[in-house]
Amino acid sequence: MREAELEMGGHPAKRVADWHLPAPYDWRAALAVLLIALALIWSGQRMEVGKMIGLTGEAVLASVGLQEESQVGKGLGRMFGQLFPFVIEDRRELARLPDIDRDNLPMFTRIELVEVTTFHMNAATLQAEPRVDVKEYLVHPFGYLLNVLGKMVETFEMAIWATIISVILSIPLAFFGARNYTPNRFAYSASRGIVSFLRAMPELIIAMFLVLGFGFGAIAGYLALGLHGAGFLGKFYAEDIEGADRKPQEALTALGAGKLRVLRAAVLPQVAPSYVAYTLYILDRNVRMAAVIGLVGAGGIGQELKGRYDTFEFGHVGTILLVIFLTVFVLDQVAAKLRARLIG
Amino acid sequence: MSATAILNAARTIGGQVQPHLSFRDLRKVYPDGVAALDGVSADVPRGQFCVVLGPSGSGKSTLLRVVNGLTSLSSGQMTLGDLPMSAANLRAIRRKVAMVHQLFNLTERASVSANVLAGAVAEVPFWRVMLGWYPAELRARACEVVARVGLDEIHLPRRAVALSGGQQQRVGIARAFLLRPEVILADEPVASLDPAISREVLGLLREAGREQGATVMCSLHQTDLAREFADRIIGMRKGRVVFDGPPHLFDARAEAALYEGLTPPAQAQPRKEALHA
Repeated sequence: MREAELEMGGHPAKRVADWHLPAPYDWRAALAVLLIALALIWSGQRMEVGKMIGLTGEAVLASVGLQEESQVGKGLGRMFGQLFPFVIEDRRELARLPDIDRDNLPMFTRIELVEVTTFHMNAATLQAEPRVDVKEYLVHPFGYLLNVLGKMVETFEMAIWATIISVILSIPLAFFGARNYTPNRFAYSASRGIVSFLRAMPELIIAMFLVLGFGFGAIAGYLALGLHGAGFLGKFYAEDIEGADRKPQEALTALGAGKLRVLRAAVLPQVAPSYVAYTLYILDRNVRMAAVIGLVGAGGIGQELKGRYDTFEFGHVGTILLVIFLTVFVLDQVAAKLRARLIG
Repeated sequence: MSATAILNAARTIGGQVQPHLSFRDLRKVYPDGVAALDGVSADVPRGQFCVVLGPSGSGKSTLLRVVNGLTSLSSGQMTLGDLPMSAANLRAIRRKVAMVHQLFNLTERASVSANVLAGAVAEVPFWRVMLGWYPAELRARACEVVARVGLDEIHLPRRAVALSGGQQQRVGIARAFLLRPEVILADEPVASLDPAISREVLGLLREAGREQGATVMCSLHQTDLAREFADRIIGMRKGRVVFDGPPHLFDARAEAALYEGLTPPAQAQPRKEALHA
């Protein structure tokens, strides 16, 4: 009894019979769940969730042959059909390439003859008459694939630079945004504000503005991705600093080490695995978003994608999507290996 | 100047033995009204292995943490050599004082060598800390202290968390001794270790402290260990000193007074299972 008192620093102890161990949740938790459910039902109607489920169900039934056809299936099917076959060759009309030496064609290329039927107005009869022309094409059997791969490399470079910018920007943001390291409340609020702002601005919008300043091309693209990524990394880095084991930090503080030294020696080793994970995730995300961001003219494979989509060349679109998918897939595997090695 | 000369010079200023650590009427009252230190006065001469003994909540840890300024005083004065504790002297004092912690306080994912070298984190140039590139003499010194605490070269690259509890505390001691501090504060250094390991660790702490002429203040709650290792025992209860003397004077009566009304702690019982033993 007295020991218990002492342990508690002199506060009087209660008899065990008077202890109170509350249930894990009470009527307030139940009420909260009920309110959330009501809100979701209300929102579900606005979002036409019922219709979504109905149409999806129809499409699934149609695809397994239980139903004639569905609206969704028809719309998507037409599109998907046109994606195939993927176009990987590069085909150009020879007549438009004045510099080609027929006896010495570029590597891998060949000339194909294609009969083209065109209709011409006969001035005498005022009838449209068919005429068969033979057009010559210079065909590179996988020229377009190479083109897309080149664009993908450019996109990957954009993603790398965007990630570098994110990391560099987020280091000071994390320092000032970590409650236990920020020098003052003002710096803390400012840092957290910047981080929220950067995360709130969609990269597409940032890119659109930056394109106005930096012109079309990769610069606007990776700057936009870098700024947006800094919003993520700044937040996650800071939260990990706040959550890191305090004991080694106290040990080094007791030796007279300043904040930055403590961060480096006692915090960084502890948070390194999650920092690696976050940074790899941002890299992965930047590769995917670099493909999208080209839509507003910010360079990379997205610009190519947008061009082909707008001219209804869906075979080319298919090739681009496949290359993006394969890149993301490979990156995922590499990142997993890298993470395992750095964390293990 | 040799270590002995420094010791002698320090001991006899004005013909009197100058205490290495001096506590004058220390008081620490926490915001919730609990007085962790309630008028503690003592002098600790240089090179002494001084055990602060007492039940939990008696203020032992608080007293130790006053020495390196981890706890600020409500009133009273702590002096190290001729440096009184103040905001201006805090850094200077902390550089002379190293601490060994109850839960080791190692950076668990960092290597043993990185943890030991972190003992110099406040002393080496900033860029070296950032790159983790410590000077060669310091790396040699780290090997020396790691060997001194009974670990091997193979332990150097291992993560601290991969070691047993006793080995982790050895790393903690190596870190504390890296820069040859004047004062070692050991806050319940063996509370999470089993009895046999506890004796080894305390013996190591005492011997290593002696070799370097360091003053050691070690808080314990096991009376048998205190008797066995201390040059002097300061018994504390509810923030007050209730015993202060050599271990042979700490008899059954003194022990009873210290723990009156409490169950005396069993012989060097570990508080919990040795970590990762």
